Amino acid sequence: MDVPKTKQITFRVQRYDPENGDKPHFQEFTIRYSKGMTVLDGLIYIKENLDSTLAFRTSCRMAICGSCGMLVNNYPHLACHSQIEEFCSEKLTVKPLPNFPIIKDLVVDLMSFFEVHKAIKPWVIRSDSEEMENPTAEFCQSHEAFESFLQFTYCVKCGICVSACPTSASDKLFHGPQALAQCYRYCADNRDDGAPERFPVVGTDHGVSHCHLAGACSESCPKGVDPALAIQLLKRRMSSQALGLSKKEPPAPKAPPPTQSKPKIPFPEFTVKQGK
Amino acid sequence: MRRYTYLWLMQLVTGVFIAVLLGIHMVVQHLEDILLFFGVNLNDPTSWQSMIERSRQAVWAGIYIALLVVVLSHALNGLRNVILELTPSPRAERVITGTIMALGIVVFLWASYVPIALLYS
Amino acid sequence: MKPTKPRPNYLGPVGWVWAGNYKLERYLYILHRITGLGILLFLLFHLTATTFFRIQGEAVWNSAMGFLSNPLFKIGEFLVVVAFVFHMVNGFRLILQELGFLMSKPVPPIYPYSDSLRRKRRWTMAFIGIIIVLCLVFFYDFIVGGW
Repeated sequence: MDVPKTKQITFRVQRYDPENGDKPHFQEFTIRYSKGMTVLDGLIYIKENLDSTLAFRTSCRMAICGSCGMLVNNYPHLACHSQIEEFCSEKLTVKPLPNFPIIKDLVVDLMSFFEVHKAIKPWVIRSDSEEMENPTAEFCQSHEAFESFLQFTYCVKCGICVSACPTSASDKLFHGPQALAQCYRYCADNRDDGAPERFPVVGTDHGVSHCHLAGACSESCPKGVDPALAIQLLKRRMSSQALGLSKKEPPAPKAPPPTQSKPKIPFPEFTVKQGK
Repeated sequence: MRRYTYLWLMQLVTGVFIAVLLGIHMVVQHLEDILLFFGVNLNDPTSWQSMIERSRQAVWAGIYIALLVVVLSHALNGLRNVILELTPSPRAERVITGTIMALGIVVFLWASYVPIALLYS
Repeated sequence: MKPTKPRPNYLGPVGWVWAGNYKLERYLYILHRITGLGILLFLLFHLTATTFFRIQGEAVWNSAMGFLSNPLFKIGEFLVVVAFVFHMVNGFRLILQELGFLMSKPVPPIYPYSDSLRRKRRWTMAFIGIIIVLCLVFFYDFIVGGW
C-alpha cells in the first residue's frame, strides 16, 4: 500500500459544467504516481485531494462493471484497466467517450445505449411461451454449441465499441456494435428461437447493413468480445435466411427428467453436539 | 424488412459483375502493350476508327449496357448508404431515395440509348 | 439545481476519418468510401464524354481527345484506375469477410485479447499486395504505352 510515489504525471481532464453554461475546456492536474497506479486511481486522487467537483463514473475498479469508459490519449479505455505507466507519456489527456451526450465532465448519458440494447430483446425467446414464462426443466446444450457464442457473452456494456465505430459517429439510428453483437449472441444460442422477432429490428436501412467492417470496435473492446466477428456472422445468418438457404434447426430441447433417482447419501453426524 | 438484406446482397452481387465487366473495359482501354505480349492487337482503342468498329458490334453494345446497369445500381445504392449515414429526417430520406432513383433511371435511359442508336446508324 | 439537457457529443463525419489511433482496417474502410465516391464522380464526366461527344461526330471527338491528352488528365486517369483497383480488391476482401468466410471462429477471450481481424491480418496484407501488383501493371502501361 505504501509504495513510494516517485514520478509525476500531468492529467489534462476535459471539464464541462452544464450549470455554468460554458463550453467544455481542459484543466490540468499534476499528481505523483507509482508503478501500478491506474488512471482511475489518479482520478480518485484528484477528486479527493485537488478538485472535488470532478465527476466520473466508477464502481468495481476491476474491469467487470463497465462504468469507467473514457478516452485516454485519444483511445478509449476502461480507466480502471489502464495503468498510468503503459501510456509512456508525460501528459494524459482524459476526455469523455465520444458519440454519447455529455452530462458533466467525464460522465456520459448511456440511456439511449441501453434502450437500443433492450430493443433487440436480449433474452432467450422460445416459441413455447408457457415454457418460457414457467420453466419446468433446463435446456440441453452441448459444449460445442456453447462455445459458438460464448465469446460474445462477456460484454460488460461499457460503450467503448460504440465510441470507436465510425458509423456510430454520424448515424444516430445505427444500433451500434454492442446491440448487434448481442443480437447475434441470442440468435446463435441454440436454446433461443427468437430470430424471426429480432431480424426485423436489426434488418433496417440503418441496421446491420451500415456496418462496413472498420474493425475499430473489436480492436478497442476491453473484454475481448470481438463484436465485429459477431456482426459479420449475423450478416451471414440474415443473408442465408433471406435467400432461403438456412437449415431450420429446432431449438435446444428440454432436459429429460432424471431416469434414476439419486442415491441416498447417509447424513453425517453433527460434530457440534446440540443442546447443552 | 427483408428488402434491406436484399439491397445489401445486391451490392455484393453487382460488385462481382462489375469486377468482370469493368475489368474487360479497363484491359481493353488501358493494357494494349501488355496484351501485345500475348499477341492480341487492339489498334489504339481510343481512336475514332476503332470506336466506329466497336459500335457496329452488338457484343460491345451489350457489354456496355450491362456494365451501365450494374455500375449505376452499385454506385447509386452506395451513394444512398453514405448519405443516409448522415441521418436525415424520415421525409428527407424518402426525398433522397426518390431523387437517386430518378437520377439513375434518367442516366440509364440516356446512356443506353446511345450505343443502341449507333448500332443501327 | 435546474435540470439541464446533456450536451451532444457526436463526432460526425469527421469521425469517419479519424477518431483515435486505430489500426489498418479502419483506414481501409475510409479509403473504400473515398474511392467509391471518386469513381462515381468520374463516371458522370465519363458518361457525358462518351455520349455527348460521341454522337456529335469525329471532329468534336478528336478535339475532345486532344483536350484530354493533357498530362494532368493522364495522371487523373491513372488515379481513377488506382481507385478502381483498390475498390475492387478491397471489395472482394469485404465480400469474403462480411459473409464470415475469412473470419475465424469465436474463441473464448483469454488475455491478451486478439480479435479475428487481427488474427486474419495476413489475408488483408495479401489483398493489399494484390492491389499494389495490379497498380504497378497499369502504371507500366501508362508510362510505356499511351503517355
